Amino acid sequence: MPAVASKPSSGTRTAPGAASDSQELFVRWQRDRDQHAREALVRQYMPLTRGLARRYGRSSEPFEDLLQVASLGLLKALDRYDADRGHPFASFAVPTILGEMRRYFRDSGWAIHVPRGAQERALKVRDAQERLCNKHGRAPTVNQLAEFLEIDTEDVIDALQAIQAYDTLSLDAPRPRADGEAVAYGDTVGADDERYELVELDATLTAVLGHLPPRERLILRMRFVEDLTQTEIAERVGISQMQVSRLLRRSLEQLRTLTHAG
Amino acid sequence: MAEIPNVHLSLPSRPENVLIVRQALSGVATCLALDAIESNDLNTAVTEACNNVVMHAYGEQEGALEVDVYALSDGVAVVVRDHGKGMPVAGLHGEERHQPGIGLAVIDALARRVEFARTPAGGTELRMEFDVPNASALEPIAGEGLETFAAARAGLTGAVELRLAPNAMARAVLPRVLSALAARAYFTTDRISDVQIVADVLAANAGESIRGTHLNVGVTVAPRKLELLIGPLLTGRGESLMTAAADGSAPVIERLTDAQRVAPFESAETLELHLADHR
Repeated sequence: MPAVASKPSSGTRTAPGAASDSQELFVRWQRDRDQHAREALVRQYMPLTRGLARRYGRSSEPFEDLLQVASLGLLKALDRYDADRGHPFASFAVPTILGEMRRYFRDSGWAIHVPRGAQERALKVRDAQERLCNKHGRAPTVNQLAEFLEIDTEDVIDALQAIQAYDTLSLDAPRPRADGEAVAYGDTVGADDERYELVELDATLTAVLGHLPPRERLILRMRFVEDLTQTEIAERVGISQMQVSRLLRRSLEQLRTLTHAG
Repeated sequence: MAEIPNVHLSLPSRPENVLIVRQALSGVATCLALDAIESNDLNTAVTEACNNVVMHAYGEQEGALEVDVYALSDGVAVVVRDHGKGMPVAGLHGEERHQPGIGLAVIDALARRVEFARTPAGGTELRMEFDVPNASALEPIAGEGLETFAAARAGLTGAVELRLAPNAMARAVLPRVLSALAARAYFTTDRISDVQIVADVLAANAGESIRGTHLNVGVTVAPRKLELLIGPLLTGRGESLMTAAADGSAPVIERLTDAQRVAPFESAETLELHLADHR
């Protein structure tokens, strides 16, 4: 028997000798409609089905729903499998089950639903980031966020990335400070901006910078001239550190585009 | 003309590095504007291939896990390679086709085309192609590039190595990969954001900075510390990358990194950047 690749932990291995047993079960189910045989087959291949449901559509859909769809795929595979062809059932069942899940994803609007779920999670990560920041006086690590929210570190990393893309979220609204006082960033801009006029700037870049809103200019200067951390900037401007990060990246991108265009 | 990958990753074959590959793929998916289902298929299949390498290619040992990404006119191809003793590949070829391991059956079901090959050294290469109906065009990669690859390889090593063609895919992939590595180095979100900005600058300026076809980035990860070795760069470009300005008075990379060093490398140069999280 050739070696086959399978994850030891995923529970998808079939016990040796199971093949011949299941051939008999298939005959009993497909020819005689023996419900007991069908149940035995379902029990035997449920680990495979569960493994596929878990691998596919990672953590973005309630697992029970995925398992239900995958199980439906298993039942179809049990009906359609042709044991006489001599191929093991698993090689037939895997594409059938995956096909069922993909059809479900298409039909249920999953492709739209998932980004929305990711967006909600990104907001949760942002809020947790702020809470932990306020509590400890410094930004948390990814591990601390994952532990706090009881999610995978990978999900946190995805959220940190995703949050940069959400222009439509109300990320730009002024946020209350730790002491509960809301800060209107406009109030803080004028004075600081004047001070920075003293910094001598390259003429082209000064012109280019003029295209950025005052707050973005202020944040750029706080980070790159004053050398404040993003957390310190967030505190002073009254927005979240993640928003500072987003604004910095976006502003630098705009500056690059404008400079190259000029 | 030899096919040149847009993205090449080389990592130690450890389970945690599959996450790095997945982050790179999420950049690929964003760049190619894949929908959630296409992206999920790509991710699931490549994850299976990588898990296979991690668990089987080198026995109890550790070796290189290599991933190449090619942008095709109507899709994307991903090659997952090891230099091990040859992993079990039953199920993809010949009379064994119908004895697949579950991982390979998943790949077979999700990719439009799967090819398997032995590398000259006896390792295994699995090439998977996926449909991307509305593949957005990437800037073509100029030149043959493979020689530069080999030359660069001799001088640039890190725990994780990336080679990126200087186009939109690099701009989507590099920040994601470096953030994931920064997260592994226990960086705070504050400092991870800085890493993203550094990656943005490197990827955006790569086209005019590199000697050859690809930006090579070797990354070494230690607790609260990341070291990047970047090259080969055209002579003088290390300095200009480092001082690429945010607003004329403030060099972005110089501000955001803790140490920088430009060193000669063959007829070019390398830029070494150290980032720490002091919190």
